[in-house]
Amino acid sequence: MNKEETLDRLKEIVKPYTNNDVAFENFTADTDFIADLNINSANLVDIILDVEDAFAIHIDNESMEKMLDVKSTLEVIETKLSEK
Amino acid sequence: MIGNDIVDLALARKESNWRRPGYLEKIFTNEEQFLISNAKNPEIMVWNLWSRKEAAYKIYNRQTGIRAYIPTQLACVYDNENSGSVQCHGNTYYTKTEITKEKIHTVAVTQQRDFSEIKMEKPLAKIHKKNGIPFVNYARDAEKPISISHHGRFIAWVAMD
Repeated sequence: MNKEETLDRLKEIVKPYTNNDVAFENFTADTDFIADLNINSANLVDIILDVEDAFAIHIDNESMEKMLDVKSTLEVIETKLSEK
Repeated sequence: MIGNDIVDLALARKESNWRRPGYLEKIFTNEEQFLISNAKNPEIMVWNLWSRKEAAYKIYNRQTGIRAYIPTQLACVYDNENSGSVQCHGNTYYTKTEITKEKIHTVAVTQQRDFSEIKMEKPLAKIHKKNGIPFVNYARDAEKPISISHHGRFIAWVAMD
């Protein structure tokens, strides 16, 4: 899976939790889940669980700490996939 | 220092399925999971503990400038349904929680005596943000920290008098 495919897949995962359609249309690596997409912090855990399922990876608490924006989430996914 | 968090229970029911496998384990400590599974009303316990963590995190974020998703590192010490504290990296944040049928609202402070100086009206003065953290300028006063929480039908402002 290349970077673009991972980003697209993450975008699909994040979609149902998004509360800002305009920011979602402009989804990039710089998008922040809370500041830009207005995602409720109680839904960040859903994104983490969905990412685990979609990529068949386990996200430990230390990795989870950084998952507040797209860029950090992509980094966590890549790291976990490379460790498989 | 202050922080606050409000949960609209109707919206929480719609937005979050906390019974989803793996959900509670990602955000609650073992002790908190025990409180939830033994609670008369587990749903209220989930959002009660969650609002404490969020309110405490807002102080932690203001104090340290650190932004991170660390729900299990914000550990609730549960005295009763309305009061307790949250421990995070050696800091203690005291919490008071109000529960109604419609919502759960927690206010967190760094010192117990701060509870008596809390102001909860919507400020007339302008609110501005620095690094995403809100402040308010009261007339002729220096800027003061303010905590704003908005969820569904409810919004709450908490500042120190």
